[in-house]
Amino acid sequence: MRKTITAKQAAFLLPLFLLLAVFALYPIISSAIYSLFDYRTNDQQVAGLYTTGNFNAPLFSEDCGYINWFLEDDITLLSEADQTELRAAMEQVDALAKQYVTIGEVTKISAAEAKQITSQVAEIQATIQSVYERNDGVTFYNGWDKLNTIFREMDSCMINSNFTGLAAYGKLLSDTRFFHSLRSTAIFTVISVTFELIFGMALALIMNKAIKGIGGVRTTALIPWAIPTAVSALMWSYMYDGSSGIIAKIFTDIGLIASPELMLLSAGGAMTAAILADVWKTTPYMALLLLAGLQIIDKVLYESAKIDGAGPAKTFFKITLPLLKPSLLVALLFRTLDAFRVYDLIAVLTGGAQGTETLSIYAYKLMIAQNNYGYGSVVVLTMALCVGVIAFLFVKVLGAEIVKDD
Amino acid sequence: MKTKRLTKVTSAIIIAAFLAVMVFPFFWILITSFKPSSEIFGKDTAFNIIANNPTLINYKAVLDKGILNSVKNSFIVATVTTIYVVCVATLSAYILARVRFKGKGLVLGLILSVSMFPQMVVVGPIFNMFYKLNMLNSYFVTLAYSSITLPAAVWIMVAHFKRIPLSIEEAASIDGCSQWQTLWKVIFPIALPGVFTSAIMTFIAAWNEYLLTMTLNSDKQFQTVPVAINALRTQFSILWGEITAATVLVVIPTLIIVLLFQKQIVSGMTSGAVKE
Repeated sequence: MRKTITAKQAAFLLPLFLLLAVFALYPIISSAIYSLFDYRTNDQQVAGLYTTGNFNAPLFSEDCGYINWFLEDDITLLSEADQTELRAAMEQVDALAKQYVTIGEVTKISAAEAKQITSQVAEIQATIQSVYERNDGVTFYNGWDKLNTIFREMDSCMINSNFTGLAAYGKLLSDTRFFHSLRSTAIFTVISVTFELIFGMALALIMNKAIKGIGGVRTTALIPWAIPTAVSALMWSYMYDGSSGIIAKIFTDIGLIASPELMLLSAGGAMTAAILADVWKTTPYMALLLLAGLQIIDKVLYESAKIDGAGPAKTFFKITLPLLKPSLLVALLFRTLDAFRVYDLIAVLTGGAQGTETLSIYAYKLMIAQNNYGYGSVVVLTMALCVGVIAFLFVKVLGAEIVKDD
Repeated sequence: MKTKRLTKVTSAIIIAAFLAVMVFPFFWILITSFKPSSEIFGKDTAFNIIANNPTLINYKAVLDKGILNSVKNSFIVATVTTIYVVCVATLSAYILARVRFKGKGLVLGLILSVSMFPQMVVVGPIFNMFYKLNMLNSYFVTLAYSSITLPAAVWIMVAHFKRIPLSIEEAASIDGCSQWQTLWKVIFPIALPGVFTSAIMTFIAAWNEYLLTMTLNSDKQFQTVPVAINALRTQFSILWGEITAATVLVVIPTLIIVLLFQKQIVSGMTSGAVKE
């Protein structure tokens, strides 16, 4: 084997790096950056990532113009004294407008300057408001309400920095909904993977012994695995349906649930439904993975165990299980991570209702439905951290070998 | 002898039960697809096995709603993804299997981490990226699929390339083949089964993808099968007849793929998980 990589060989890797950089690394890094900001795309004030304050100077000076324009109409209806007071305010507005009209774009602004402008505007606003309140009886052309709307728009010209640092991660600690979804995810993962392991192991052991008909069983097993999860979840949601679902009816008839509607509309029912659908879809995967592991165990070992008089239980625990361990751990790791990241199944089946909201569902709702990218990223990254911890436990503690580099 | 027979019978019963459980949902969906709505929702008729008045009306309805357009989209998206992912994965897997270099462990670790990362992490930023580049509601979604399909494809191919004896390549090199020629003229043909396996796995993964396409392609015109079927379930009514008919239609391609390529699929599922 060659020890170093030539430029030509490195070029072979380039397309892979490019794709992973754009569609995996860039998004991951972006998420990490989003998580440091109060970033919500449905709120103009925080619809970007602002490390410094920003000032929308063109809009600000335009608004100044509107204020004076409105006042110009209304001022004629006032007493001399009030007119003087308003004139003074208008001059101040004019001065502000002149100061910023030359800046033709949104600019960065220091916190001190932002504060100064805001307080100046607030002062003018208070003066104008008091004049209008004094002349409550007068029917104005424009009136205070209209002016107030413009003042409110002026407030939004000042876009503060929405950099929050790690504060959102702190918020996570007091977010009960997050902990509920973490709990649901853990319950879903542990129970479904356990059942998949038990059923998968039983099937793999049987299929390893049988010679006839194994092909047919394997083909059948592949179909649930191969169809889209979103489609299989929809199939199950039909069978769980309260009025025309066959599974809901069977479960009611044998007394597992009180009435068919409870299958998807009760907390225990919905979680059971999700786990059952998941076990149905992925047990075959587990079985085939374990079967492949069983098939590489040397048959001679079983022969000699038999000669030595070992029973089936002893053979399983002393020979099969230790030799199956590498395949078993990898299969378990893959399935655990998949179950932990579950989205499609739950989204289609319950939408996260009845205590089935997993971390993926919660994160998706935050980001895509509520446009809260900042906090949504905090949740997904925490989820990624959990995934990392799970993988670490499997690899370092249990000794799963996934990277095999010679 | 008696216990042996007993285990045989028990095994047969377990296998039969397993097959029944695996097949039942498909069977139930199939028979429902031929029932008119009145029978699906009727209290006495909902659980009949044979429809009283079998009908093809559900199939007609979903065809009229353009389910075939979604099937077409799925085919385009899955095929394009498969082609570029296989090309990129072949190139990189060849190097990763054959050349030893500093940082290789890091590259392999990176590929593995990407496959393990929750897909949810990339959805938000990719949505923003596609929005800014004006690529929402288009077939560009195939590019985004690389994050979910590429790692597995590379993984499968590295495993296959490693099985090819180095001597073949050395012979080619002595005969004056460049690395590029060696890859495409010598290694690639031998590794074809592995290439094919990763192609099938990529195709299935792209065909089944739901989260990204649902987020990036909200326009009905560009929806793939998993999204389009779920769109049949509206807020106000659940047209089980149409949903089951559509399910039958879209499960057929998967069924064909599984029947034709089950060997490659099993090999693809287990490579990386099982060491020979």
